[in-house]
Amino acid sequence: MSATELLLDAQHVTQRFRLPNGQVLEALRDVSLAVHEHEVVALVGPSGCGKSTLLRLLAGLSQPTEGSVSYRGQPLSGVLPAAAMVFQSFALLPWLTVSQNVAMGLEARGMDPQAQRDAVARAVNLVGLDGFEHAYPKELSGGMKQRVGFARALAVAPEILLMDEPFGALDPLTAENLRSQVVELWRDAATGVNALIVVTHSVEEAVFLAGRIVVFGTNPGHIREELANPLPYPRRERSPEFEEMVERLHAVLTRTLLPEPEAAAPSAPQRLVPFPRVHVAEVTGLLDHLSTQPDGRGDVFDMAQNLGVDYDRMTAVTRAAEQLGWVTTPGDIVQLTLAGREFLAADAYSRKATVRDRFAAHPLSARVLTMLRERGEEEEEEGTEYGVIDEDDLLADLTIHFPFIPAESLFATLVEWGREAGLLDHDANSRRVMLLES
Amino acid sequence: MPPLLRGMGPADVAMLCLLAGGIAAIVAFAREVEAPFREAVRIDLSPAALPRYALYSLSRGVTALVVSYLFALGFGWVAAKSAAAERLLLPLLDILQSIPVLGFLPGLVLGLMALAPNRNLGLELAAILMIFTAQAWNLALSFYQSLKGLPAPLREACQIAGWRASRTFWRLEVPAAAQGLVWNGMLSMAGGWFFLMVNEAFQLGGRDYRLPGIGSYMSVALDQGNVPAMVGAIVVMVVMIVSVDQLLWRPLVVWVEKFRLDDTARGQVPTSWVLEFLRRARLPRRVALVRRRVLRATAPLVRPFRAAASPLMGRGPLFRPSPRLARTGRAAVVVAIAAGAALGLWNLWLLLRQLRGGDWGALAATGGLTFARVMGAVALSTAWALPAGVIIGRSPRLSTLLQPVIQVVASFPAPMLFPLVILLLERIGIGIGLGAMILMVLSGQWYILFNVISAVSAIPEQLKEAATVFQLSPVAQWRRLYLPAAFPALVTGWITAAGGAWNGSIVAEYVEVGGRLQVTRGLGSLISETTASANFPLLAGGIALMSFMVVGWNRLVWRSLARWAQARFGMAQ
Repeated sequence: MSATELLLDAQHVTQRFRLPNGQVLEALRDVSLAVHEHEVVALVGPSGCGKSTLLRLLAGLSQPTEGSVSYRGQPLSGVLPAAAMVFQSFALLPWLTVSQNVAMGLEARGMDPQAQRDAVARAVNLVGLDGFEHAYPKELSGGMKQRVGFARALAVAPEILLMDEPFGALDPLTAENLRSQVVELWRDAATGVNALIVVTHSVEEAVFLAGRIVVFGTNPGHIREELANPLPYPRRERSPEFEEMVERLHAVLTRTLLPEPEAAAPSAPQRLVPFPRVHVAEVTGLLDHLSTQPDGRGDVFDMAQNLGVDYDRMTAVTRAAEQLGWVTTPGDIVQLTLAGREFLAADAYSRKATVRDRFAAHPLSARVLTMLRERGEEEEEEGTEYGVIDEDDLLADLTIHFPFIPAESLFATLVEWGREAGLLDHDANSRRVMLLES
Repeated sequence: MPPLLRGMGPADVAMLCLLAGGIAAIVAFAREVEAPFREAVRIDLSPAALPRYALYSLSRGVTALVVSYLFALGFGWVAAKSAAAERLLLPLLDILQSIPVLGFLPGLVLGLMALAPNRNLGLELAAILMIFTAQAWNLALSFYQSLKGLPAPLREACQIAGWRASRTFWRLEVPAAAQGLVWNGMLSMAGGWFFLMVNEAFQLGGRDYRLPGIGSYMSVALDQGNVPAMVGAIVVMVVMIVSVDQLLWRPLVVWVEKFRLDDTARGQVPTSWVLEFLRRARLPRRVALVRRRVLRATAPLVRPFRAAASPLMGRGPLFRPSPRLARTGRAAVVVAIAAGAALGLWNLWLLLRQLRGGDWGALAATGGLTFARVMGAVALSTAWALPAGVIIGRSPRLSTLLQPVIQVVASFPAPMLFPLVILLLERIGIGIGLGAMILMVLSGQWYILFNVISAVSAIPEQLKEAATVFQLSPVAQWRRLYLPAAFPALVTGWITAAGGAWNGSIVAEYVEVGGRLQVTRGLGSLISETTASANFPLLAGGIALMSFMVVGWNRLVWRSLARWAQARFGMAQ
């Protein structure tokens, strides 16, 4: 790899955004990534890990708060002309025909009309859209629309093709068909595409496409690990080598998404961890599903596939169940604990009591409950009542402790679980959180 | 301190003050209405009198709004429930909301004055009704559309729960429509201010009619050329608009968020500092507590009566008309409405019959002139509001910053500024002929700006990114992305702006500046002149022609243009 030339180089980039509510969110911290010629790089990781943000930095759509991006040694200023992009939502202009959409990037390159027509015809032919040149996007199916998205990108003969979850909005059959075509397009010298960078949510997709897989972690977004994928193209999804590669990526993702608990000194104060943003019913659903498995255990990726949820969500639910003590997670195996079995066997009333005890013991909710109990204890303090706290005060506290998580969604999760546990209530009209204790 | 008052804060004091102020305002306005009738009330131009006048004008606006809401609930409900009524009422609504209502002022005044010849009541009622005619139609349409758009399962759930029609109305239909009703109420209030000056001070058959209010204050100040008074009136008007927006509409907009039917989160959640402040008040909770205690204490006393009444309060309507009776009743209502319309048409015919051939020629010529001015005003408004709207809508920062400001500016009744603008235009050598068109720009431009801003700010982020990644030049970005995306909204803006310009023509072509009349030939000035001289046949002809032109143009041109724009440039993929 060292023999090939460096194409794109992101060095120590950090990106921060200001949310509408004023919270400053750090999406990426100190990320460095080099992309060489003839490479296919996949960026994978849970939602909110900043992989799409990095893709936009590489495209020059936004500038990093800190660090720099360079193309062939030249620092990037503005959009990277050597790149084209394919969007998850297709991003086609609804009032332009297929060929007008495909021609979008050609005007800027100063082509004469005849050359433009040729380039459009070539791109349309490459993705198999012949005959649809005069159709409007609304007349096309999702898969056909994304073909237009690819044709538009290929028409400018880009050196680098950036793809932001290009198959995410498509049904599985269509996605599989388009995926193989993308590999062929990349290997076809006629397209001129040198490197591919793809953001994806699917493990199989990353293994199918990429020669190098970059795994991101969250809070804030950072690169956890890189994985080389030397399988020769064209790759066959059912082959043992392919399956083995998928297993290896699963293992890396598990280390990222379901880290083994740190062996902290018993005397050390418990670290404040955010509660995963999942619903009560999802956790009970996971426990129910586990109880149907032999020995009450299952592989987190297999279960995600069987239940039709993505692995990101599945691991979040698993983490919540783990934090409440209902499962343990040796590797990517999820194992129902004794407490979990007892919870499932219990009637509705004792279930409620169990949720109450378990949730009250969670470090984050314990902190919130303490805040509520301390509030208004000093009698006659101006504007305070015992056990009542302004939503905004709690949001501010969450923002301080978890600067990388949108405070409002964490708040909503806390309220849902607190209500389920019968520990607290929320008045949406007066925007206050109240302790429910006798 | 008694326990009930403990913990009361500034929010509670503010709430009590608002309550007391509201009661005092109602009493003051009631006294004005009951005062003996004087044809032209003397207007006190001292600044100290301004707050009182502003209060009178505000009371008229609010009263009209309350009446408009009641009308909208009734009208919308009937139109949504009965197919026959729907076929009759919807076209009627379409016509009512597009015709120039100001033309009906003389008839209303004469009719209502006869009701109470010795008190201000008649004149006040006429003014309130005039404001009502500018407020009611969009509210009725909004309520009708919410009712029609209610998901069927919600309605079925209410039926299965055995809710009576009245309960379904207050528990389902009105809450579901609340958002639309509040947003349209905001627009209606602004629309109601438009003819403030004319409603409070007008001439009819050589007689001056005047009601105390900020509009008549301004018109007297203009007559006398009293510049400090004009400035005062404008400042107080702006203060009034801003306070109504902050104290009434903002809190309402935030509050009705909880009646949203869809659960999807939206990017920008509206906020209101007034509501935040008042939510800290403990008074409502204390009052509820006292009420609960009283109810609990009196429950044993009331119980025997309740028991006696319970057979009457069971499920289902007390009186269920037989299908045949219901059908007859509906038919009777339809016949009554049709008869009313026929009677109106017959009276119009009687008036129009008195017109001579020359009158018809004059009508046609003035109609053509004003039509040209309306189209010119729409074009001029587009020339500045379209680029401005795109630039503002493109930047989220700019649009959150400017939206509230534009909203207040747009609510300001443009006709109050007409005389000043005419003086200014005269100074640079533009006469009233062209000046009237510029005044009509002032009455219609905001609709275009608002519509374009909201359409451009709704463009999906990834489309903008695509335009950037594929390096569309700034010109190409406008041509390929922003202008097409804004086009359907632009057409909607054109329709409303043209309506505003037609309405504005009545005051724009006939302006009184410093005691001097500035008139240019046109349908608007014809309506104003015939009103002043009580030439009712020609007035009726003018109104009929203007209504005909507005409705005809809406049907033939605007509507098909809007349909084409939506099909060709709509965002739906």
